Amino acid sequence: MEPKASDTDDFLESTVLLDEAQYEEGFKDGYNDGLGLGKEEGREVGLKLGFQVGEELGFYRGCVDVWSSAIRVDPGAFSARLRKSIEQLGELVDKYPLSEPENEQVQEMMNTMRLKFRVISAMLGVRLEYEGYPKSSETDVVDF
Amino acid sequence: MDFLGGSLELRERQRLEGHTDRVWSLAWNPAAGVRGIPAMLASCSGDKTVRIWQEGPSGSWDCLAVLEDTHTRTVRSCAWSPSGKLLATTSFDATTAVWEHVGGDFECVATLEGHENEVKSVSWNTSGSLLATCGRDKTVWIWEMQPGNEFECVSVLQGHTQDVKMVQWHPVLDVLVSVGYDNSVKIWAEDGDGDDWHCVQTLNEASSGHTSTVWAVSFSSNGDRMVTCSDDLTLKIWDASSSPSETSDNSCGSWRLLCTMSGYHDRAIFSVNWSREGVIASGAADDAIRLFVESKDNSVDVPSYKLLLRKDKAHDMDVNSVQWNPKEPKVLASASDDGTIKIWELLEVPL
Repeated sequence: MEPKASDTDDFLESTVLLDEAQYEEGFKDGYNDGLGLGKEEGREVGLKLGFQVGEELGFYRGCVDVWSSAIRVDPGAFSARLRKSIEQLGELVDKYPLSEPENEQVQEMMNTMRLKFRVISAMLGVRLEYEGYPKSSETDVVDF
Repeated sequence: MDFLGGSLELRERQRLEGHTDRVWSLAWNPAAGVRGIPAMLASCSGDKTVRIWQEGPSGSWDCLAVLEDTHTRTVRSCAWSPSGKLLATTSFDATTAVWEHVGGDFECVATLEGHENEVKSVSWNTSGSLLATCGRDKTVWIWEMQPGNEFECVSVLQGHTQDVKMVQWHPVLDVLVSVGYDNSVKIWAEDGDGDDWHCVQTLNEASSGHTSTVWAVSFSSNGDRMVTCSDDLTLKIWDASSSPSETSDNSCGSWRLLCTMSGYHDRAIFSVNWSREGVIASGAADDAIRLFVESKDNSVDVPSYKLLLRKDKAHDMDVNSVQWNPKEPKVLASASDDGTIKIWELLEVPL
């Protein structure tokens, strides 16, 4: 049979319990604050990145649409290789998984599109460039 | 190449002056120097011009033409098409110009744009249908020649992580090699039907490759072997005889290191070129030209190469390019930071 806790033990116990209680309250406050801040920042970053990706994809889509119209008007003005490349770029834009930002392959898909765009620009003989991303000749800066 | 026991000498035949800045690169016209057509050499320089030199009937060289007012910056590299009718020149101005030899004149018939910045090298494939260029933007571009001297971009190859210094087509296989500042040698091939070029093999430090910038590459005349030179002061000989392909485990292709020549150079080696007779010439930052041949030592299984000759003070400054005359295999041209080009002859002097 265990001896009853003495008065001294009770006194210390309530202090310790108070300490723990305060800690828990502080933790809860902090966590809730952080949760709010995190969601805010997450939304901002998501918006920014989403906009950047959307703008670049939109740029390529726009170019492909104009080029495709030109091809319909005068197919002979473009070589078979050029027509095929424009078609391929269009397919790449369509295939991009817009609602899967955490898909690991999106960076590679974006690079493939950029490369295809450069090839088409060279074939068309125009100095077209999407302004939004850093050139490969500069150091890789991820604006994130 | 057998030597009968005399001593070898690299004798200076002539010094070509005219460029007003360093001479970066040289190219012998493959259709000249034969059938009564005088030998012709192209050189390109930091003075933004390309000079065409021709050998006169007495054997002395004169400047036939100066190609100027086209490139707006240093002309870094030049290469003749296999037919000898066209000359491609690449520049720090990010363009590649194609010139046609008409009469005694050279006319710029095409300008290839696409690289983001300095274009460092150009190479024609054996059939003359494809042109490859590379540059500081880390990419390699392949262009296809169309009727009417038009060029269409076939592919832009990414993979190098730094400045690409040189591209060279294999003399027999439809395979392209590129080398660069990222210390690697990359082999590119096409996937059969389309324009799908990709890197089938990378020879880097892990595959016993160079440990510093690779400046140049040259194939033996039949394409069995390839030599590369580097800032790491070595020359490496590779087996380039088989058609490389990506094996299923993706870890190795079929080109492998045969031999490393170290201890012969103490400064960076900028250029290397393999003659039709199997002599390898190197041009280095110590102003010297060195010649190497395979040593027929039967006691070892692995191929080995020996130093044949060292020409100190071949130039007053860095030797940027060495090129053997494809028609006269003992004649060598060299270009230097000192702004001159020299024509040499490899002679055996009886003892």
